[in-house]
Amino acid sequence: MLFWPLKLPPFAHRAPESLEEGLELLAAGDGEARVLAGGQSLIPMLSLRLARPSLLVELRRVPGLGGVQEDGAGLRIGALTTELVAERDPIVRARSPLLLEALDFIGHPAIRSRGTVVGSLCHADPAAELPAVALVLRAELTARSLGRGSRTIPARDFFLGPFTTALEFDEVVTEVRIPAAPPFEGTCFLEVSRRPGDFAMVGVAAAVTREGDRVVDLRLALTGVGDRPRLLTLDELELEGRASPESLFNEAGRSVGARVRPPDDLHASATYRRHLSTVLTERALQTAFGRAATRGGAAGA
Amino acid sequence: MRVPVPAERYTGASVRRVEDERLLTGRGTYVADVQLPGMLHAAFCRSPFPHARVVAVHTEAARHAPGVVAVFDGAQMAEMASPVASLVESSPSGGKVSFGILVVDKARLVGDPVALVVAESRALAEDACELIQVDYEELAPVATIEQALDPNLPAIFDELGGNRLFGPETRVFGDVDGAFARADRVVRASIHQHRHQNVPMEGRAILASFDPSSGQLLVRASTQGVNTTRRMLAQQLGMPLDRLRVVAEDVGGSFGLKFGASREEVACCAASRALGRPVRWIEDRWENLTVSGQAREESFEVEAAVTAGGLILALRVQMVIDSGAYPGFAPLVVDTIREMMPGPYRLEALSFTSSGVVTNKATYVAYRGPWAAETFVRERMVDLVAQELGISAAEVRLRNLATRDEAPLRMVTGPSLAGITSRDSLLRAAEIVDLAGFQERQRRLREEGRYLGVGFATYIEPAPGPRQEGGEENTEQVRVELDREGSLLVHTAQMPHGQGHRTTLAQVAADEFGVRLDQVQVMVGDTQRTPDGFGTGGSRFAAMAGGAALHGARRLRGKVLEAAAQILDLAPAELDISGGELVGPGVPGGRLPLAELIGRIDLAARSGQLPPGTDADLTATQDFDGGQSGWSGGTHCCVVDVDPATGLVRILRYLVVEDCGDLINPAVVDGQIRGGVAQGIGAVLLERSVYDAQGQYLSATLMDYLLPTSLDVPHIEIEHLSPVRLDPDVNFRGVGEGGMIAAPPTICNAIADAISPFGAKVLEQHLPPARILELIGAISA
Repeated sequence: MLFWPLKLPPFAHRAPESLEEGLELLAAGDGEARVLAGGQSLIPMLSLRLARPSLLVELRRVPGLGGVQEDGAGLRIGALTTELVAERDPIVRARSPLLLEALDFIGHPAIRSRGTVVGSLCHADPAAELPAVALVLRAELTARSLGRGSRTIPARDFFLGPFTTALEFDEVVTEVRIPAAPPFEGTCFLEVSRRPGDFAMVGVAAAVTREGDRVVDLRLALTGVGDRPRLLTLDELELEGRASPESLFNEAGRSVGARVRPPDDLHASATYRRHLSTVLTERALQTAFGRAATRGGAAGA
Repeated sequence: MRVPVPAERYTGASVRRVEDERLLTGRGTYVADVQLPGMLHAAFCRSPFPHARVVAVHTEAARHAPGVVAVFDGAQMAEMASPVASLVESSPSGGKVSFGILVVDKARLVGDPVALVVAESRALAEDACELIQVDYEELAPVATIEQALDPNLPAIFDELGGNRLFGPETRVFGDVDGAFARADRVVRASIHQHRHQNVPMEGRAILASFDPSSGQLLVRASTQGVNTTRRMLAQQLGMPLDRLRVVAEDVGGSFGLKFGASREEVACCAASRALGRPVRWIEDRWENLTVSGQAREESFEVEAAVTAGGLILALRVQMVIDSGAYPGFAPLVVDTIREMMPGPYRLEALSFTSSGVVTNKATYVAYRGPWAAETFVRERMVDLVAQELGISAAEVRLRNLATRDEAPLRMVTGPSLAGITSRDSLLRAAEIVDLAGFQERQRRLREEGRYLGVGFATYIEPAPGPRQEGGEENTEQVRVELDREGSLLVHTAQMPHGQGHRTTLAQVAADEFGVRLDQVQVMVGDTQRTPDGFGTGGSRFAAMAGGAALHGARRLRGKVLEAAAQILDLAPAELDISGGELVGPGVPGGRLPLAELIGRIDLAARSGQLPPGTDADLTATQDFDGGQSGWSGGTHCCVVDVDPATGLVRILRYLVVEDCGDLINPAVVDGQIRGGVAQGIGAVLLERSVYDAQGQYLSATLMDYLLPTSLDVPHIEIEHLSPVRLDPDVNFRGVGEGGMIAAPPTICNAIADAISPFGAKVLEQHLPPARILELIGAISA
């Protein structure tokens, strides 16, 4: 690189009035067009000229992409729903404590007032909070294109690598669906960053289903420790649910620590991130377990 | 313990800052707010390599890019402005180097300016920069002090013959060998300060506007002193001073960065002169972080001669400073570090060896309390001595601090210690935090696996420091004048960039002259009317400019009363100026508004009605050297909670007990202290200018260079000690730098105390979570 600019490179900008019009623009853009939602990641990348699209398709004027809805299957969060709106939404507050807890770690309120939930998923920053949450909650994304209509992509298949997703260049994610939480499940999001609001050095999203004092299911995803978050379950961690929760969580922490391939950068060494993965995994699982309701009893601490 | 504030005076009261409404509602005028007809915008094409020969610069494509007016490469710029000549006097190798305004032969750091593009907008200028092709021949980078001392690596300046810029030079004070011979033990440590930097909200900025018909260059600058900027620009541009006018309006912070004129700023002036059009350059954040300048990278080998009773008799110190790519401020700061090394301690002897090297990194610049390494090294050593002897660190401080009015009355390096309150500040800080109670709580919590720590640092800072007998006259000039409307104009060479000078200088002048605060206008930042003086820096404002304003207002008041007495045929003693009016029993109607009085004096003078010898020039030009003492100082104390599983540090309490003399405006003083402490917290926990082994700069955005936010800075408790008043009139002292000087050692000492059960030894200043876990052995380094 010969030069480090901080002014946006030249590009065309369109703000279509309908989704169809937006999809047409994307299809015609032949991979050179980018979708702009809240702009909290894309605009800085443009300023640093790390992204050089020829066209920005801003979704702001497209009707029907906002809001949070609830149906029998769970929550639906529209593509233009900002993180701040989601965080203040009564449905999210009542139904998705893990998402709520993670939202608080994203930047600061000013950033969350522009940044969108779906935008964060589509940006797929390896240190972002929401991709890990989407994995643990078994979320599904609805993608639409002009030629192929609608398709559903499970979060498991969505994140392919750093800033890389299963989305085709002509597709727009219109909403993310989060299935209703199973009974007796507790969740926890924990993160250590250099400062409040920074990207995670290590973040852990955890969900634990308990039966009395026993763990029957466990799902985990870490952020900041690899090219993308991966969903880890009891099976994948090669752990037995029969052990006491304490030893199970301790074992899970060690297993995660041995498994992750975290980056080494100026904020922390890979060794530190690996250590933190163990510490935070154990802490998050323990907390999630404590929060889970037990059969016939109230939620724990 | 609070300083009593006399009633009905502005001085000593937390008067609301006259600047705030304007600045906080976005009505300030920074360089980026100024638009001139025909104004052009500058952007620089910069080296991606830390060390490379520039073989050819191809600017043809850029010249023809849309909106581009001109492109200048290093050779062209050399015709338009003189190279910067830097004389490093103490160097045994001669040390005289010079370098181009733009790179001529060699790029010496990542970001070195190779070409300047001037275009109709900044974005177009940046687009054109991308079209410039530069042929580089890469040279081995010199990225560390160790590499700088390696004779096998290429010299950054051929004329230096190597990469040592100056030294080693040893200065000895007192009987060092004798003290070491008497010592019961010698405590040794290698202590390192990491590179971090000034990050003002407003980076460097300039708007140069050359008028071809008059040959005048009008420069709007973001600077700490317009006179210094004018002098340097005149020198580089080969222009007489009277052709150059430098104006500064609001300045968005600096912390030592914006002195004189940087190479980029000279280049913009030269471009404006060549093109006959205004040229503006607003440094962006990448440029600010990468090339504006960095500070603090210094390494120390220290030996302390210590008695079994915890007395520190003498120090042997060897220091190496990393000057970065160009010789700038580094050779100058070393002298102050050496002189201040003993601080407020009864050190008998000191041997101090200093040397400096150049490396392919950003040039060393002054940063708030530039000599702070002396406090960091000394205060860390005190704690290491305490740790080794098993005595509490506060106790070792108490046994070694000088006592006011008892021998020794001076530091072993020379400066007088008159008026210091260091012991008082330490005792008070220990009392406020209930040190014994804390230590009990610390013991209890350690049993539960919680690691709390307490740290102290005691310091003094020249603000501006004691009078140097036989030294050069060092004064600050203020010109006080009355305008026809009865306003008191206070002209100063001080250049406020966040300190609130327009308020505090007005407070002092208003009280002394007898006018309302809103009748005083503090005039700054215009070489056409600003008095001589280099600008704001070295904590000169309160004592020197404040004192000059006080004495100037007093003299002008005397003149006005004298002239008024003549006109009214009264004795001056019967008259007074109060609330902006002349008052006295003999004054017709009891009171006369100043504007009216000035009109009458003026008329009387012009019609020859004043007796000969009456001075009717309602101006007073006043120099003042700061008066007696001149030390600010105190003790900082910090309590931290370190999580040994994550390495995260929580600051549970931060306390400052300090003495900066009489307070002009307590709210402004507290703001200065809190700002400095915030930067100290940043230095220890967050901020670091990181280069990789190849000399590439890694901290070039604010996601990489982490500044403390409001969420990272705890409430800071401040208590002001009653000062020792050695001057009959002026006992204000500077307070801008102390927070940043004392906070890093205080926080490091607290963290070191917290993790001492792990046998950890803290020899560095930067302690992010990963490093703390390495120090306690939880992870490998």
